[in-house]
This record gives sequence, C-alpha cells and structure tokens, in this order.
Amino acid sequence: MTQLATRRDFITTSLAAMAGVGLSTAFNPAFGKTIRPADKIRLGIIGTGSRGAGLATLIREMPEYELVACCDIIPENLQKGLSLAAKNAKGYADYRKLLDDKSIDAVVIATPLYLHYPMAVAALQAGKHIYLEKSMTYDIPQAIDLVKKVKASGLVFQIGYQYRYYGLYHRVKEIMKENWLGKITHFECQYNRNSNWRFPVKDPKMERAINWRMYREYCGGPLSELCAHEIDVVNYLTDSHPVKVVGLGGINYWKDGRDTYDNIRTVYDYPNGVKASVTSVLSNAYNGYSIRILGDKATVEILRDKALIYPEITNNAKGTVDGVTGATIAVTTQGKGVEVKFGKPGEVDLEPTVFALKDFAECVRNKKEPVSNVETGRDGSIAIHMGNAAADTEKVQYWKPEYSA
Amino acid sequence: MSALRPPATPETYRITGEAQGTTYAITYYSDRKLARKPQIDSIFKSLDASLSIYQPGSLISRFNASSEGIEMDEHLAYVVGKSMEIYRETGGLSDITVYPLVRAWGFGAKAPDEMPDSAAIRQMLPCVGSDKLKIEGRKLLKTTPCVQIDVNGIAQGYSVDVVAEFLEARGIHNYMVEIGGEIRTKGRKLPGNEPMKIGIETPSATEFDAPAIREVISIGTGAVTTSGSYRKFRESGGTRLSHIIDPKTGFPVQREIISATIVAPNAIIADGFDNALLAAGIDGAFEILTRHPEMQAYLIYRKPNGSIADTTSVGFGRYLVR
Repeated sequence: MTQLATRRDFITTSLAAMAGVGLSTAFNPAFGKTIRPADKIRLGIIGTGSRGAGLATLIREMPEYELVACCDIIPENLQKGLSLAAKNAKGYADYRKLLDDKSIDAVVIATPLYLHYPMAVAALQAGKHIYLEKSMTYDIPQAIDLVKKVKASGLVFQIGYQYRYYGLYHRVKEIMKENWLGKITHFECQYNRNSNWRFPVKDPKMERAINWRMYREYCGGPLSELCAHEIDVVNYLTDSHPVKVVGLGGINYWKDGRDTYDNIRTVYDYPNGVKASVTSVLSNAYNGYSIRILGDKATVEILRDKALIYPEITNNAKGTVDGVTGATIAVTTQGKGVEVKFGKPGEVDLEPTVFALKDFAECVRNKKEPVSNVETGRDGSIAIHMGNAAADTEKVQYWKPEYSA
Repeated sequence: MSALRPPATPETYRITGEAQGTTYAITYYSDRKLARKPQIDSIFKSLDASLSIYQPGSLISRFNASSEGIEMDEHLAYVVGKSMEIYRETGGLSDITVYPLVRAWGFGAKAPDEMPDSAAIRQMLPCVGSDKLKIEGRKLLKTTPCVQIDVNGIAQGYSVDVVAEFLEARGIHNYMVEIGGEIRTKGRKLPGNEPMKIGIETPSATEFDAPAIREVISIGTGAVTTSGSYRKFRESGGTRLSHIIDPKTGFPVQREIISATIVAPNAIIADGFDNALLAAGIDGAFEILTRHPEMQAYLIYRKPNGSIADTTSVGFGRYLVR
C-alpha cells in the first residue's frame, strides 16, 4: 500500500465516521469569529506544496494575515511552508488537527483536487472561513453538495480563481460591455506547455503523491488543473455557464504511465450559440496561456499579464470620399495589436492572486460573499467534468437543470 | 519622336505609410510619377529630428532639456513663431509651454506613475506660459529653466504643409495630403476633373471604431483639420480626461465641444487653432472665428442634456457637398 493510498482510505473512513456521528451538529451555521478591522486574520494553510508555498510567499507580505499554521503530509513541503509562516507557527501532518485549533479564523486549502471536498467540508464544520484553490471539486455531486453546505454554514468561501480579481479581466469585461468588439461569437482558450508537467520524485513511493496531476484518481488532468482558469474566465465574461460540450482527448505524447490526458480539446456551447474552444496541449508552448475573444468588430487576445486588441478592418466610407478628417488615429492595422490599458495610474502591478487574497480578507472581515464563490466554483467544476466526460465517452455532454437548481 | 507621342492621360498616384505615430496618405494626379515614398519618408525624418518630443535627441527635446535655450532650425523656428502668434491671438488658450502639464496628465512620451493632484499642478504653473519664451534671431530662449514645449498640437498641420509644398515644388498641382486626419488639397481629381471629397468623422465611442462620416465637404484649394477630445483620453476615477489642457488652470479641458473641424488656407493655421476652439467652448470659439474670416469651422458638441449636436460658422456651408 502506498502512503497516499493509506492516506486516502484514512480520509474516506474518517469522513464516514463523521457522517455517522456528528451530522446533526455538523452543519449548524457556524458563523466564525468576528474579526475586528485592526486584527490580523489568523490563517492556516493546508497543503504547502508548490501552490501552497507560493500562496504563503504572497501572504507573508500582506498585512491582512498572520500565517499561524501549516499542514502537509510531505515533511519537505511542511518545512517550506513553516519557513514562510509566522515565528511560532504550528506544523501539522494531519489537517484535522489544524482545524481543531480554535484560534485559527480561516484556512487556505491547496491540496490535490480529490481532497478539496472532504477538507472543505471538515473546515466548514470547524467553523473556518475557506480559500479553496481551484478547481473546486473532484466531481459533480461534490460540487452541488458543497453549495448547500457552504450556504448553510454562513462562512466565507472563496475559490482560487484569481483572475476574477485582476484589473486586466475587469477591463476586458468593460470593453465587451462597451461594444468595442461588436457581436462576440467565439472564445478560443488554450493553456499549453511543452513539458511532461512532472515534479521530481526522490522516493518512488512518493510518485503518486507528488505527481497527482498525472492520475485520474486524484484530479481531472489538464482540464481541471490548467484550463479551469479559462473556463471560469469565459463564465465570468459571459455571466453564464456552458449548456453543452464536445471533446476529444488522448495520451499521445507523454506515454510515461500517466492516465490523465496529455492533450485535450473541447468546445463548449454557451447561451446564444457562443462557442468556447478550450484546449490544453502538453507538447507545444507557443503563446502558452491565451484567450482570444472573437467579435465582429475586433479581437481581444488575453495573455498572462496583458491583453491586445486587434480591430477588424472594416471598409469605411473611403469609397465615397477621398479622405477623412478626424482626430488623429493611432496606427492600427489588422494583425497588429494595441495593448489594452488597465488598472489605475500609480497602482502597483501585483500578482493577481494578491488581489484575490486581499478581497478574501475583506470578505472575512465584513462577512461578504466573494466574487469567486461556491456557485461560480460549482459552475466551473461542472463544466470541467462535462468536458472530461465528453472526451472520455466521445458523446455530447449536456448541462442538466439540476446542476444549477 | 517625342513630338509624335499622344498627350498622356493623367493617372492617380498614391503614397501611404506611417509617420508621427499615425498613418499618412498622399494622392496626386499627374501624367508622370513625380514623387516617391522615400522622399516623403525623408521629409518626415527631418521633421521628427526637429519637432518630435518622442525622440530624445530631437531639437525640441534638446530645448526641453536645456536650462537656457537652443539654436532653432527652419522647422522649429517656423512652428514656434506660428505658435506664438496663435498664443497671442487666442488669449493664451493655445500654448506650447503646456508640456509639463501634458506630461503630468499622462499624454506625454511616457505615462506617469500617478495622476497629479492640485498641489502638484500648482507647482508646475510657474513653468507654463509662452511669455516665458524669447526668440532672438535664430535662438529660442527660456526665462525659467523648467519651461518645456510641445508642438504636437500644430506640428502635424505643419507637416501637411511641408509635404504639400514639396509636391508643388515637384510640379504636382492636383493632390491631397493627409496625415492622421489632417488634410490639404489642391486642384481636382484627374482625368475626370471631379472635386476631391472629404468626410468629417463622427466622434466614435471607442479608439477602434472605423470612422463614420457625418458630413462631406469639398474645399478646393486649402486645408482642413479636426481636433477631438473623443479619441485621445485617459480614464481617471471613471472620468475621461481630455488631452487638451487649459494652460491657465493646469487641468484638462472639460468643455462641451467634442470635435472641431477647421478649414483654412493652410494646415498649420487650421491645426494651430483647432485645439484652442475646443478649449474655448462654443461662445469663445465663435469669438475667435469672427476675428478670423480666413477660417471656417464645423463644431460637434454635447448639449447639457447629453445629446450630440453640431453647428458651423457662417461661411462653412459653401464647403458642404450634401
């Protein structure tokens, strides 16, 4: 038995035990402690691997938080987390012990996808506000159930889709609303890389724990771990969710024992026939992360930290006049993008996650519902699972009415 | 042999390209190719070397960096001389010494880190005012080291004139020169002998909208330029800041005129006055126009209720084609 398998059994059994014993009390609204504005939010991080440690690095610089506890089953990860935490921060290998600490106000959960649901449920039971990394849940029933549990809890629950907090995306949404792009008919999303997407493993026993992204037992592969952001962005920009999806996927390049796709291409159908292709290819990195929004007046291309607008050349009235006088037009020709300006002058250019974490603190202090919340998280997770199911079954997957009931 | 050749039919020649951060298009009608793109591009090069605030080594940039002043070349001397005239004519509404303010508000060569507050603006005002410039022969002098100039409001019109004069020197008498929406025309389209038609653009909602034509004019021999607060602006706290700065207050102009089109004998006059009309408001604009019968104007403005209207000076009607 591998260590991870042991751990998974352990979580499953303990959840079952909780369900048997404590269900009646478990979901009494636990409103969490009131945090005064001057107080730092006492925070614990569950999962201090690459993403969790990255978050800890950002949190360390933020006056809103005091990182008082870390948890990871891998000692190196835990050490790394603690090195970024407050002086007397406590380290745990068992996340339930961390949740037992009554002095902790909120937790960040940055663990493999299959652990999101049980850990989030346990954290709600413990009365903690939650910042849960994307994507939200391993499957559709968990997504639907988590909505109910979060709503019953009265706790702040945010999903780590940081782009909803990033000025670049706010500006793109504004531009769309102002009709700069005209009628929008398609989104083209890709999240590509040219690597096997693996982390080095010293002890072969740790392969599945470290490279959980390779295995369907733990996550949904590139769609849930990479494209999740883009699916959420399309949902955010269109204020909707897909109605159906087709897809094809395969393991055609990295034949290294993985069972998650190394390439997947899906097409989501949104209301009014708007289509979003969502692609991940792990053997080409050209424009790795990009979202193109196709309108009949212009295209916007969103890259990591900038967006370019490419106006369509429309044949103007030059046919009837010989020249046009107007305020000077900056040079724009098809094929040449103009950068979309965003953010306020003087605003520091921060990592988008910092904006998301700042807003989480704001929500915890003022008991507000986050912009990236359990319902938008549910929509993203359901879309991801539908996309994977479409590729697995080679059949169209439809959004069922009960998904968003 | 050549005496036996039938008379040549004039053809349409077009030269297009990019210059001064925008596009240009030259059309001329002639029986021979009399002007070529490299010639036009070298004119732009010499203009930029003198007048461009985007070139650190240009003459104007050297003036701005100097503490006392510099020796001007022909381009700069002409543009500064004309600017001073218009400064006096418009009671200071058009003022090339606004550059420190232009930069502070984010319309200079580099975007500022933050928007200026009124204290910062007040500190800059002592550097602003064309009365702080002195012309002694070919020398352009400043009375205060912090004085800096920006001739962008007039240089494009001047460039149109320089290119037009080049064409005339080459023996071209039927042409249209357009740089970034500023136009000068002469003669007619050959061989059909039709007048050249110019569309006046409707202010559009975004920087990228293709121009919609609001009116069509034909001006024969002369120039037409348009200045608008609609295309060049910065967002600040949800409001759009116009790139036209009032040199007296130091703040961007928030006037009802959103676009001013001027027809004048040459482009430097038209271009030199269009920003001033925008800054003057409707009543002030008509006051300036009354004193200058050589100029006619077409103004698009926003009424207090938010709707868009237009108005013209008395003599403008004769240019309208439809």
